[in-house]
Amino acid sequence: MNLVDCTVLENRELSAGNHLLTLTVPRGFATPKPGQFVHLRISPEGEPLLRRPYSLEGFVNRGGVRAVRIYFSVVGRGSRILASQPKGQRLDLIGPLGIGFAPKVRRLPILVAGGRGVAPLLFLSRTLREKKRPYVFLFGARSKGELYGVREIKGGRVHLATDDGSVGYEGSVLDLLKREVAEGEHTPLTAEIFTCGPHGLLHEVADFARVRGIRCEASLEGPMACAVGACRGCPVPLNPGDGNGRYPAMCVEGPVMDATVVDWARLP
Amino acid sequence: MTPALGVRIGSLKLRNPILVASGIIGYGQDYERLVDLSAIGGIVTKTVTRRARAGNPPPRVVEVASGMLNSIGIENPGLEGFLEVKVPILRDLTCAVIVSVEGEDTKEFCELVEGVSGSGVADAIEVNISCPNVGPHGLKYSTDAGMAREVMSAIRPLTELPLIAKLTPNVTRIGEIAEACADCGADAVSLVNTFIGMAIDSRTRRPILGTVLGGLSGPAIKPLALAKTWEVAQAVDVPVIGMGGIARPQDAIEFLLAGSTAVQVGTALFADPGLAEACVDGLVEYLKRMGASSVDAVIGALEVPEGRGAIRAGIAERRTGQRGGR
Repeated sequence: MNLVDCTVLENRELSAGNHLLTLTVPRGFATPKPGQFVHLRISPEGEPLLRRPYSLEGFVNRGGVRAVRIYFSVVGRGSRILASQPKGQRLDLIGPLGIGFAPKVRRLPILVAGGRGVAPLLFLSRTLREKKRPYVFLFGARSKGELYGVREIKGGRVHLATDDGSVGYEGSVLDLLKREVAEGEHTPLTAEIFTCGPHGLLHEVADFARVRGIRCEASLEGPMACAVGACRGCPVPLNPGDGNGRYPAMCVEGPVMDATVVDWARLP
Repeated sequence: MTPALGVRIGSLKLRNPILVASGIIGYGQDYERLVDLSAIGGIVTKTVTRRARAGNPPPRVVEVASGMLNSIGIENPGLEGFLEVKVPILRDLTCAVIVSVEGEDTKEFCELVEGVSGSGVADAIEVNISCPNVGPHGLKYSTDAGMAREVMSAIRPLTELPLIAKLTPNVTRIGEIAEACADCGADAVSLVNTFIGMAIDSRTRRPILGTVLGGLSGPAIKPLALAKTWEVAQAVDVPVIGMGGIARPQDAIEFLLAGSTAVQVGTALFADPGLAEACVDGLVEYLKRMGASSVDAVIGALEVPEGRGAIRAGIAERRTGQRGGR
């Protein structure tokens, strides 16, 4: 982990309000793992005050260029400012930070993505492909236009869902997961789940996994101040019986965590 | 020639007056790759309480206009955990270590001061009598001069270390609390802790913080903090350590001008981990520009034009008047 300068190489709006940001980083920035994040200063002006944590969509390292990719949606003041940063804008970031995904060797990874939560899972799918590992990628979004990155998913079996039925299954990605586990006859010994998306979806996926005893890692999202474990501003509530009332910090004990121990009802 | 930056807080000599505030960089370890501690005066640790605290339910932080509200609730390992796990880390730090402590009552404050003092790792103790996020006891010793006297008098005989009383700004006359602390053996006072604040989500009609109320910090509070610092600097003879919204080197200089002997950098360091070092560099440049040989030339050097002390006089008069009435 380091504080490094970065420069906007590209900042492209892919669909309404959804942007892909590519930031070049120097050698001092360690190669990140899928699920890790960066704490980005979104404006050199000092306003907004705090950095924003973003999971990485990918890492580019070719032709002498090192760059991180962030897929983000405009949801508030910070992301609106970030969306307006032009090519060549200098910013800085702290990273790579946090705990990433940790696939086990002999299990089929089932990736469950909701909306912009697809970002770290696309990163994960590329590393799985590099290792020539088969995987299943289940991706749900509101409509066709928000199914970002589908064409890039290679080497895995892909199933899509949209709320409006504009492509793939009409309904929730959770239904795709239920069908996949039933039809694939997956067991805790043969498969595991990696998920990212709205916390409501993650809650449902976690409940589904816990009942079946299937290992499930979720990438969480939330506001952070320091992002290095010092300020204790990003507590993750755990289920009664897990963690003895202790709050792990999302920034250093996450953002990827065992989804079955998180008390989703108390996580904002 | 480089100006002399050293300052004294009681018997503690700091190589320069730039400190990092409590609750910002934990016990130094989390930020070791981001902050060069050998360049700054010192750090104030995350507050240690008698027993371990899990902290408050989420959300604990929310950004507001030019500031941050927090309701962390002093998540810390407690005195025993501190002695076992944190002391070995602090021993290796390359700057002064000021350990912050907070007790639910006077007895706990005494046990904490004795424990921290005995650890040998503290260069001073900051007595956190001003945390707004730990329940009713958090502010009781810093909103009532009598209570402040009680706790300071009780802990003073227990240690040789400099004691710094950290004050809340959530009072009408902060000078009185500062005086009470100084009268009862505080070697210095530090201020301000956070202002009580609140954020509401109109869409859900709910408070944003898990504890409803929290503490406001960041650039939003700097003018308020400067005013409190100046007021306290008029009221006491012990060194004042000013803080509240320092985000640039000139902010630190403003606190020195207002009467601070040292300053603490807080919330803005989250965005700019190099801020404390930048404040040291900025102070050196400032002193060079004004041709000063020492930081003493800046401390309390605010020039108030003749006849403009009306508000200051007003504070003093009210205070005197109240005293006379007792």
